[in-house]
Amino acid sequence: MLFDIDLKIEKGESLAIMGPSGSGKSTLMHIIGFLDHFTSGTFLFHGEPTRQMDDDKLAQIRATRVSFVFQAFNLLPRTSVKDNVMLPLIYHPSIPVDEREKRVKKAIEAVDLSDRSDFLSNQLSGGQKQRVAIARALVTEPEVIFADEPTGNLDSKSGIQVMSALQDLHEAGHTIVIVTHEKTTAEHADRIIQLYDGRIVSDTTKFKTRVAKKESSLK
Amino acid sequence: MRISDLFKTATIGVTVNKGRSLLTMLGIIIGVGSVVLMTGVGKSMEGVILGQIGILGPKTLALWPGNQGPEGGAASIQPGFDSIKLSDVEAMKKLTTIQTPVPIVFVPGDAQFGRETTDPRIIATTPGYYLNQNIEIEEGRAHDEDDEQTQSAVAVIGPDIVEDLFFSKNPIGKRIEVANRKFTVIGILKPVGTQFFQNMDDRIMIPFSVAQAMINRSYLDMVTFRSVNGPDTARLDVQLLLRQRHQITAPKEGEDDTENDDFLVRTAEQAQDILGSVSLGLTMFITMVAGISLVVGGIGIMNIMLVAVSERTKEIGLRKAVGAKKNDVLFQFLVESVYFTFIGGMIGVLGGLFLAYIIALIVNQYLAQYTFGISPGAIVVALVVSAIVGLVFGIYPARRASRLSPMEALRYE
Repeated sequence: MLFDIDLKIEKGESLAIMGPSGSGKSTLMHIIGFLDHFTSGTFLFHGEPTRQMDDDKLAQIRATRVSFVFQAFNLLPRTSVKDNVMLPLIYHPSIPVDEREKRVKKAIEAVDLSDRSDFLSNQLSGGQKQRVAIARALVTEPEVIFADEPTGNLDSKSGIQVMSALQDLHEAGHTIVIVTHEKTTAEHADRIIQLYDGRIVSDTTKFKTRVAKKESSLK
Repeated sequence: MRISDLFKTATIGVTVNKGRSLLTMLGIIIGVGSVVLMTGVGKSMEGVILGQIGILGPKTLALWPGNQGPEGGAASIQPGFDSIKLSDVEAMKKLTTIQTPVPIVFVPGDAQFGRETTDPRIIATTPGYYLNQNIEIEEGRAHDEDDEQTQSAVAVIGPDIVEDLFFSKNPIGKRIEVANRKFTVIGILKPVGTQFFQNMDDRIMIPFSVAQAMINRSYLDMVTFRSVNGPDTARLDVQLLLRQRHQITAPKEGEDDTENDDFLVRTAEQAQDILGSVSLGLTMFITMVAGISLVVGGIGIMNIMLVAVSERTKEIGLRKAVGAKKNDVLFQFLVESVYFTFIGGMIGVLGGLFLAYIIALIVNQYLAQYTFGISPGAIVVALVVSAIVGLVFGIYPARRASRLSPMEALRYE
């Protein structure tokens, strides 16, 4: 359950949603990531209301405009790095088939795994797996990339590599939304939102803290 | 999602676990395989029957006592088993639409030569029999009217009898004991193998007049004759003649006109039809059993697809998260399921054809007219039915997969 969420994410922003487990941060991400329906309130995407969208419309947005990096990597087992990165392209309505190879190659280069592109997903380390997942997320060149606890299953060194890969994407102009409960991970973002019991309790932009609207009413 | 991507994805889906896929397909393989095998065997049998009718010639007809005929089973010949007498054959000789009516009596007993004994079919008949049945003599001669007149104890024996009693010795001129009486072997039949499911090479033919003296019987077991102007006229004439001679009352209105007959006349064509329908019935029955195994195979596939859906829930969630629509997932699992049944069907077709071929190779050793047969219609039907089985039994698991919400699917452990 989420309450009184009033949030505006600008294009090109890098945002971290923080909070303890059960605070509603994942629920929030599922809604703004078009993974789930919501029952009340308004969510505008490029000014367009999304609540009435049916499953296929949501699927189409996921195919073309947003993408995800998950804590558990969620790569296809026994499948090559290349084919894993290729996966979103087969559901993309407009990217032509002959452009696929080129895009996959570029995405794998972007996460520095060109020498591993024919490896099977189960032959990779955790950090490498997560970088494959990032390549998969950027292969469709989406507007927003959501990362749900991207470093949660990684040691700190791999975690730093993964976060720097995400940072590169941000610098390349993608909007990045990271959901995490780790402060070190969140600190890579320009803006941090703290959630508690389904409410936003703080909204901090780097070098400048501002108090969330509803904070006072919570206390 | 493009069609090519759909098929590629489904191909990967079914080939990931090859062992399990093969086991999943087993029911379909067996079902389709047996349909193809049985229809192929049916086709071969049809060829055999047609071939045998060809040997016998469409002109030959047969007359049996009783009105059930030999295909009704031995017991049902009983009412009227003694209805046909030699005088009937004499009367038939006067008909112009038939020729060479020959009386036949099956004599019980075995045949002996020295210490060797065998169990032949002893056929007591007149020389016209050789003509009616298109029997050819390999060595020596057939018995003739002189032998009948003089009641000479001569026998014409089949190749199996030669083998059983004489091994490699020349039997011509030897004295053998048939049904406890001495006969001189005067001829050997050319081997013909099995006709109408009966071995034709274990016959011993003896003159009818000799047999009459031996067993003292007034009625006949069978009469064969040839038609002059087509089998149907011949049949009708013989029927009329015998009804008149046996004082058979006309059947009641609406009853079959053979209802009250105490005999049965069959043309070669009718015999062919009966054998054909028997073998068709058998083929249908076994095909039906095979059809049941297709359905059972389909249930097996549904089961495996349900397992696959729950095993691959995470994969489904991921596909949805990266943009797969409901129908993309639905069709992926549907195509996978049809793959199972279609590939299983193909393997079944190949296996069935292979077995039918092996059977043809073996049976051909004993039954020269049996050749490898294929029923293309049955193959097409079997493949189409198995694909439909895949669709029908795949739809429930596929719908279940397509309806998963991406988030729930991803969280599934």
